[in-house]
Amino acid sequence: MSAAAASTITAFRFDQATDLRGIARVFGFAAAVLAAFAGAPAARATAASVFVSPGDMHSGALLLRSTQEGRYVEAPRLGTDVDLTVSGPTARARVTQIFQNPTNGWIEAVYVYPLPDDSAVDTLKMIVGERIIVGDVKEREQARRDYEIARAAGQKTGLLEQERPNIFTSSVANIGPGETVLVQIEYQEPVRQSGGEFSLRVPLVVAPRYNPAPLVQTVDFSGRDHGWATVSDPVPDRARIEPPVLDPRSNPPINPVAITVHLQAGFPLGEVKSHHHAVRTETVAPDNQIIKLAEGPVPADRDFELTWRAAESAAPSVGLFHERLGEADYALVFVTPPAVERSDDKRPREIVFVIDNSGSMGGTSIVQAKASLMYALGRLQPSDRFNVIRFDNTMDVLFGDTAPADPEHLARARDFVAAIEAHGGTEMVPPMQTALTDRRGAGENYLRQVVFLTDGEIGNEQQLFDTISRMRGRSRLFMVGIGSAPNTFLMTRAAELGRGTFTHIGSVAQVEERMRTLFDKLESPVATNLTATFSAGPGDVTPAVFPDLYRGEPLVIAAKLAKLDGTLEIKGTVGGRPWIVTLPLSGAAEGAGLSKLWARRKIADLEVARTMQEVAPEEADRRILPLALDHHLVTRLTSLIAIDKTPSRPEGAHLSRAELPLNLPAGWDFEKVFGEKDSDGEGRPAVAPETRRADNGAYAQVVAALAPSAKPLPIQAAAPTGVALPRTATDAELRLFAGLALCLTSLLLLALRRRAARASARF
Amino acid sequence: MVRASPPHPGEPQPRCGSPLLRGVISMMPFVSTRRGSLAIAAMLGLCGVVLCGQGLWIHAKAVLAQILLERAFAQTLATGKAVKPWSWADTWPEARIEVPRLGKSAIVLHGSSGQALAFGPGHVERTPNAGEPGTAVYAAHRDTHFAFLADVAIGDEVRVTRQDGAVFRFRVTQTAVVPWDASDIDPLAPGRRLVLATCWPLDGKFASPLRYLVQAEMIGTAALDSSQAQRRFSR
Repeated sequence: MSAAAASTITAFRFDQATDLRGIARVFGFAAAVLAAFAGAPAARATAASVFVSPGDMHSGALLLRSTQEGRYVEAPRLGTDVDLTVSGPTARARVTQIFQNPTNGWIEAVYVYPLPDDSAVDTLKMIVGERIIVGDVKEREQARRDYEIARAAGQKTGLLEQERPNIFTSSVANIGPGETVLVQIEYQEPVRQSGGEFSLRVPLVVAPRYNPAPLVQTVDFSGRDHGWATVSDPVPDRARIEPPVLDPRSNPPINPVAITVHLQAGFPLGEVKSHHHAVRTETVAPDNQIIKLAEGPVPADRDFELTWRAAESAAPSVGLFHERLGEADYALVFVTPPAVERSDDKRPREIVFVIDNSGSMGGTSIVQAKASLMYALGRLQPSDRFNVIRFDNTMDVLFGDTAPADPEHLARARDFVAAIEAHGGTEMVPPMQTALTDRRGAGENYLRQVVFLTDGEIGNEQQLFDTISRMRGRSRLFMVGIGSAPNTFLMTRAAELGRGTFTHIGSVAQVEERMRTLFDKLESPVATNLTATFSAGPGDVTPAVFPDLYRGEPLVIAAKLAKLDGTLEIKGTVGGRPWIVTLPLSGAAEGAGLSKLWARRKIADLEVARTMQEVAPEEADRRILPLALDHHLVTRLTSLIAIDKTPSRPEGAHLSRAELPLNLPAGWDFEKVFGEKDSDGEGRPAVAPETRRADNGAYAQVVAALAPSAKPLPIQAAAPTGVALPRTATDAELRLFAGLALCLTSLLLLALRRRAARASARF
Repeated sequence: MVRASPPHPGEPQPRCGSPLLRGVISMMPFVSTRRGSLAIAAMLGLCGVVLCGQGLWIHAKAVLAQILLERAFAQTLATGKAVKPWSWADTWPEARIEVPRLGKSAIVLHGSSGQALAFGPGHVERTPNAGEPGTAVYAAHRDTHFAFLADVAIGDEVRVTRQDGAVFRFRVTQTAVVPWDASDIDPLAPGRRLVLATCWPLDGKFASPLRYLVQAEMIGTAALDSSQAQRRFSR
């Protein structure tokens, strides 16, 4: 009996083992099938590396329509010239670029230019092969109608509309085989001033996906992580570039940029520094310098940043400029309140740090962000309370509520920050909401501050602004823009709505200094309750409501006055003490482009009022339109329409110098750019003989991805594609059906099993 | 009782070309046993139940969310401030849309992310609010909140109550089927319009690139009566 039992037991155990193995095999099989399906899409994703979309661009580029719908390929950039003229508080830039159609057919393209924050484009001139196209600002609907009329008449035009406030696009139709496209735009922006330092930034960085510069091939990556290395010689083909006479067509793969800055500061200049490029300066007068790149054209791999300070003895705390245009005087006033020492008001702070660790922060950006945050943690006082939030498309909050900044909590925070890695998407609204949630309320005596470190790469900016304006409460929001090309529009507007400031950190070297400046601001008393009064009568002043000022930050007022008369009185409270300064308006220096600046600020004010629902949308539109038209600005309601102004020429005649509606940059010879085709008669530029094979590979990839046509295309109906509609189908029904099907199958299997058992039992 | 014997572990397996086929064949002996078939049946049954549950959950979420949203919207109308329907929501009710003839209504949420659409119609970004100049676009799933679009005919009235209490009446002027990325809807076009969008075909099972649009033009405003502010959700 026991032997039988024992044998049954061993038999049973043997069955169990086999069953387990069988079950394991089934699950293993299922897992293998799933893995096969999951693995496939990943493999497909790596193939397309030359395609970009207009939103990806970080600097001016001509995007050629490719074989993929909605995706483009960058045209080879033969040269870029940036000419900046700084007159006091404004800078006017003229950017000229040449591109080339590398194919043997006709192709459509889109010209994209990302602009610095607060800048205003007013001029567009294009030369496409032999055609001349000039832009004009018109009301949006009118522009579209004119565009349709011109199109119906067979004329070739382009429409430049505002997509997002810092990217402008213009479509270019029918570029011939091997034709060059020359685009010149002019824009204006205000000079930024912070704590005695004035700064200017020109976005140059090429989109990350396609960089024809041979940089990648010449740099040694051994020993560096993330494939990122500092380039010691950024211009490897230096010998072939002959400044100042540059023949853009003989240097196709290098993509050179030439920058000239005419700096007329309005006060004697002290230190003038370029942060990421080596420059040569020529002093014309104590307050006037000309700055050029030291080694001539450089590849566009980082933004150009220029800062300058006044000479020691003449540090201005007031700058006053004016421009007379038509019937009115436009004044621009820079006033820096005195730096009051920290008074007895030593209120403890409640400060929430939010750090973005999404995939776009990968590389040096996350290093800069972590270094900034470590510095910030080191500056906290024991009486302060703090919290740290890290986010990508998920979110982690370090402490449930803000914790006191004692050594134990700080140590935990440091570990938390050190462990942060860059990956994932960007969902900025939930961490913003969490950071702005004020658990203490106005009763407690804490100063509430939120420091937000990110590169700002999100699409739904409006949602973030709505969140900030709704949940702001007592908090002050400080945005820290990380990386070489952060989304400054987002940052500045968010900081404005959050009554805070925007700091930009472009390299690890800048972290210490800029975070220190930020913390000085965070820790020092703020200038509040600011008002400005013109003695000669009320002028039209922007901003309508003056923001709070932080240590070293200037008050920038733009006003439209009937006459430049009398004085300007500015009042406020600094560190609890009243502050008054009176400026005689007769001392104003001449400036340029101040009217456009004032108009753009008025429009920005109206847009903000519209967002915060202080002004009805129709009323806001009614006020924005005349401003935009009078001052030739492209806004939400106006577009720049580019009209073909090619003069009729006799058969066979080419573009002549007299027809050119623009000035070619220095060093660009008309003959070399537009002259006769090459001696080999093919119509394509001579490719430099020592071009590396690797460059040819990238070039060939570009050409292969394009879809040129054999003859000029009829002008496509460039009707706007309209609002993109979201996915509006759930898979609920599918799941129900699949679920029911599986249940039925399982019941069927059970039934069969029972029948088989009954059948075998009969034996 | 004789049971089918399990395969001897040392038995040679037939060699076939693809590992997939080999995997299937290696499972066969196990599958044909009693325990094997029970395990398979159990697993299939479990998967079936899980999938059914997921399908039902999607519908349940849609219904439950609308109840909470009605409450939040009533509060919004009363207090004038945006109210989140539940504490971890990252969206809030913006408007109520009703079709009086069909007796259907739904609360429209801010934004049109997948998250928002699971709970109610979403207000597509960069389009104005209903009643403002331009074209407001509300999108929702064809099998949950906008299932009634199939019955909406040209000439029907659509009423939108905004969060500030203003009520606007629209009349349906046309319907269209368009690709999702070429909708030809210009949010800044003159006139005050409303577009309701959902996936096409309306009774389809699979995701599709086409959308069904119901376009309506504003015909007037109406007063918000107090009973509307406290109205319970009705389907």
